[in-house]
Amino acid sequence: MIQLFHVSKAFGTDYALKEISLRIRKGEFVFITGPSGAGKTTLLRLMFGAEQPTEGQILMNRINLNRISSSKLDLLRRRLGFVFQDFKLLKRKTVFQNVALALEVTGARLALTRRKTRQMLKAVGLTVKEQAFPLQLSGGEQQRVAIARAIINDPLILLADEPTGNLDPDITRDIMILFRSINLRGTTVVIATHNRELLRNTEQRIIMLEKGRIVHQ
Amino acid sequence: MAIHRVWIYHFKNAFLNIINNRLIHAVSIGTISVSLLFFGAFILLWVNLNGWVVQWGQSMTLSVYLKEGVERKATEKLESALKSLPGAEIRGFVSKEKAWSNLMEMLGSQARLLEGIAKNPLPASYEVLFRDVSKHHIDPKAIKDKIERMEGVDEVQYSEQWLERLEGVIYFVELAGLIIGALLCIAVLFIISNTLRLTIYSRRDEIEIQKLVGATDWFVKAPYMIEGSVQGVLGGGIAFCILLVMYSLLPVKTIHLFGLPLMDIIFLPKPYIIAFFSTGFLLGLLGSFIAITRSFRFESR
Repeated sequence: MIQLFHVSKAFGTDYALKEISLRIRKGEFVFITGPSGAGKTTLLRLMFGAEQPTEGQILMNRINLNRISSSKLDLLRRRLGFVFQDFKLLKRKTVFQNVALALEVTGARLALTRRKTRQMLKAVGLTVKEQAFPLQLSGGEQQRVAIARAIINDPLILLADEPTGNLDPDITRDIMILFRSINLRGTTVVIATHNRELLRNTEQRIIMLEKGRIVHQ
Repeated sequence: MAIHRVWIYHFKNAFLNIINNRLIHAVSIGTISVSLLFFGAFILLWVNLNGWVVQWGQSMTLSVYLKEGVERKATEKLESALKSLPGAEIRGFVSKEKAWSNLMEMLGSQARLLEGIAKNPLPASYEVLFRDVSKHHIDPKAIKDKIERMEGVDEVQYSEQWLERLEGVIYFVELAGLIIGALLCIAVLFIISNTLRLTIYSRRDEIEIQKLVGATDWFVKAPYMIEGSVQGVLGGGIAFCILLVMYSLLPVKTIHLFGLPLMDIIFLPKPYIIAFFSTGFLLGLLGSFIAITRSFRFESR
């Protein structure tokens, strides 16, 4: 599902990632961890096509991101869900409009968009907040809106960058249960986190980064 | 998604964006109106000037000076003979007295120079206009000779040099019109695209998020291009109304020279009005396209 071959990423002369090779299979639930500045976010951004590798090849669902055109990348992103660390919600749009946006860009019918958006909001427990604006929500609620938007297109792969950063333990647990249920439906889930509590006693695969290199997988 | 459904979605989004960002759009439409007002004023000037030059190119004016003390019967005969010439039209009759008063008027404060002259030496004259010179195959020299042979005619004058230069003048006016028009279009385009960049900049987060969830470039660009076109048409409409009001407030619609009508100041003819609105629409469309394309270079990846 996800394959990286000798991937390096440099910003100027500094390497954020060096010689990364890894393979994540379909339906896997993987944590990418490491200290701040280890390259977790850069790795996710490379997988999402938001950055181009300086060296190496990346295959996402057998599509080579080095050779993909801009228009094909747009289409690929509809099959990838991304939960951003800063949520990336539109402040002037309601919760409903924010979630529906991911379906609207695909050209889905209005009736389908409404039905699926309501389903997703129900799944993340935000039905009563659908007309609220992001700034009227708590951090945990904003995170759940971002997750609902990321999964509305039934993505093959869900990438999440520090999805529980700044959330209290109870909300963190709820969010992780949500990710687990998404994974059980067949979606490959990759979560970048530096939260050690999340990794304690987990049975999931952990990839550890340090100074841009994989030190354990 | 059916094409019509996509466009309904884009139009809905574009109009909602205009309503939600009323202030910035009002500023933008105001800027476009002012720019197009200058453009419209220039076109109005050009239409009138060009029309006048073309009319002159297609017509020839002769001054037919009468002999001293010509009898009324001879004058009437001459008048009907002049009217019967192909393409001829008598634009006016300048009597001896009128010619004198015109001269006084022209001299202004220098008119005292004429105080010592006891008898009016100026002849009466007819101003004869020949329309469609090329169509009627009018040879100015042959016409001059023919009229000079008529009874009561002293002399016929026409500006030979002016006629020879007309072709050059028409070419110059058209070239100048094209250059100034193109420069004004570029200036309007520059203003529109930069104003629209402000609206795009204010919504860059929205563009970034649309791209991150898989929107194609055209999906993102379409509402902005609709907004640009609407702004162009609205700006053009406002500029047109202002231009119309300014034209209707003109105190004089005909320019006279020595008491004779030289040119009529006309408003934009229908094809020019359509072209004016189309220009507003196209400049809005193109301006928004340039603005969104330039903004996109750093938004897409």
